Amino acid sequence: MHMPNLRQAIFAVALTSVALVPGTAFAETLSLWARASSSNAAQHMIDLWNASHDDKIELTTIPDNQMVTKLATSVQSGDVPDLISFDLIFMPDFMKAGFLTDLTDTLSADPNQEKVAQAFKDLASYDGRLYGTGFTPDVSILLYNKDIFVKAGLDPESPPKTLAQLQEYATTIKEKVPDAYGYYFSGSCGGCNIFTQAPMMWGSGATLLPTSGDAPAMDGPGVVEVLTMLKEMWEAGIIPESAEADTGANFFSTFEAGNIGMVGSGGFAISALKANQPDMNFGIAPLPGINEGQASSFVGGDVIAIPKGAKNADLATQFIQWQLTDEAQLEGLAKNLILPSRTDLADNKYFQEEPRYIVTAQAVGIGQTPYAFKFNDMVNADQSPWLTMIQTAVFDGDVEGAIEGAREAMRAIAAD
Amino acid sequence: MIRALRKSEGFLYVLPALAFVTAFVLWPLAQLVYLSLTDTSLLGGGEFVGLENYVKAFGDKSFWRALEFTVKYTVFITPILMGLGFALALLTAPNRPLRQITRGIIFLPVVIGIGSSSLLWFWLFDQQVGMFNRILVDIGILAEPAVWFTKADMALLGVTISITWKVIGFGMLLFVAGIQSINGEIGEAALIDGGNYWQRVWYIILPLSLRVILLTTLISVIGSMLAFEQFYIMTGGNPRGQTFTSVYWIYQNSFISFKLGYGAALSIILTAIVLVFSTLQVILSNRSPSQ
Repeated sequence: MHMPNLRQAIFAVALTSVALVPGTAFAETLSLWARASSSNAAQHMIDLWNASHDDKIELTTIPDNQMVTKLATSVQSGDVPDLISFDLIFMPDFMKAGFLTDLTDTLSADPNQEKVAQAFKDLASYDGRLYGTGFTPDVSILLYNKDIFVKAGLDPESPPKTLAQLQEYATTIKEKVPDAYGYYFSGSCGGCNIFTQAPMMWGSGATLLPTSGDAPAMDGPGVVEVLTMLKEMWEAGIIPESAEADTGANFFSTFEAGNIGMVGSGGFAISALKANQPDMNFGIAPLPGINEGQASSFVGGDVIAIPKGAKNADLATQFIQWQLTDEAQLEGLAKNLILPSRTDLADNKYFQEEPRYIVTAQAVGIGQTPYAFKFNDMVNADQSPWLTMIQTAVFDGDVEGAIEGAREAMRAIAAD
Repeated sequence: MIRALRKSEGFLYVLPALAFVTAFVLWPLAQLVYLSLTDTSLLGGGEFVGLENYVKAFGDKSFWRALEFTVKYTVFITPILMGLGFALALLTAPNRPLRQITRGIIFLPVVIGIGSSSLLWFWLFDQQVGMFNRILVDIGILAEPAVWFTKADMALLGVTISITWKVIGFGMLLFVAGIQSINGEIGEAALIDGGNYWQRVWYIILPLSLRVILLTTLISVIGSMLAFEQFYIMTGGNPRGQTFTSVYWIYQNSFISFKLGYGAALSIILTAIVLVFSTLQVILSNRSPSQ
């Protein structure tokens, strides 16, 4: 029989002692999956966490359009990450499918959760339970080129406050600035338009996506007004011809080219423009509604949640709570010019030098996100009722028919 | 015992291949067939629904419109790939340094992934920054940069140009192999008999390359019938879903609408259609003359 020597015996005793002392467990490495478009923000948070915690987090970036498939297959195979950051719009489907861990008890007791943007709290709730919270938000805003405004004789410090003004300014730009267009939107991208055109509709009181087969859909004056405005601008040549075929690839880059007066965009555009086009003089404004004071926004970005079956769920919960603290929100996000998900931190020391960030951060508070199951089917699919409605209304000129068609198709999807 | 082993010797030789095909083709195919008989969702759950998905597929106008477009694309691009590929093979078949280099250059895009090449061409066709558009304007073919993907026919042409650039080298290489395998004495005899270049091409090279031509056509047709990435990246199915291919529509149903069961049924239907095309071509290939 093999007898342990003295050195081995001491090592074994030491190891046992360490394991028996509370709080000296071995450090874990947690996995976090984030979609590509938010992985930069997620990495900043992870770096901050890793710098001050023994348990580390490793980021895996998933292409945006593969996130649903990856999560679905991982949950069904039982091989899930500890944390997942994804487009909040998919929360209803994932919660209903039972993919996510119930975090109600933890988050309800956390005072920071109260301060998270309402859109995140709404989208992460299902049957009265909470399954996630805000992580890396983004909001839609109106982006406008101040130099073009000046050339068109418009006041660069007075962006449009109503839909009528938006159309009027866009028309003026087209008339007075050679080679410039008044407005741009990606005519073949459902996701881009729910982000930028839909807030102008619901800001005016519209209900867009149905939650059941007989629920209201595409109702309210804002729907007709926005589609009519886009149609008239398209027919007048105020929107470039290339908009019709844009599947989202030029959603932002067209504005960067410098010949577009106004475009619906996202908060991300501020950093991107400052980096790519440092000489461009641009402004940020809320997306207008029919009347003044009806401005709104689409709160997008990512929620963070724990997939069912996560191996380190307790530690993952700790991370979720930690990322809502002042330290994480300010030093992990705001310091890197990324919007915090807590509305009380919109006006922070890091945004003071760039007031455009404050406008954007405040939009998180007034913004909405539609709560809908089968969002992909209704909006994101390449032939979705939402996209078909926009294309039929704007490019074919049949606004009423387009709305009626979308309403029927969406209700059929919701009822399926 | 030895006699029995000898009897099954042939079977033992093919056993590894058979096991491979069973594990990686037949078993997944059987699973796909079963999936097509259920209403399985990507988000979980699903029950046996019999032939319901197939009945639904036959009434799915979008699927048949996508199939029609796929056939149109196949019919449009196949003669271009075959004709141009054969012409390039005729030009580069002789093994001389300059022609070998030319062959290499034409073959180069084949090694680029189709996703990368589609993205490359997507930007080359861009109205504002696209170099292809700029060249067409500079040489006077276009008055101003065109928006390629707002019209279905223009979109089809754009994708065809990109795919031709991408895969023409593969067809050319197969044709070169076919041309080089023709017995040189036949050509020499034709030359002695006074046959000019085009007569030799028409009466000797073309008939004796028929098997290779049919094989290349078969590969090309199957590839075109299963086209997806190029349309997904370059047209996104636009304008208004007019450039959806069958596989694109299957992808939409399976991964965007989460209807895995229905997507599986559409896949089975498409597989059957491609199988019919392929069988016809194999029969034709077997009837063609050999040297």
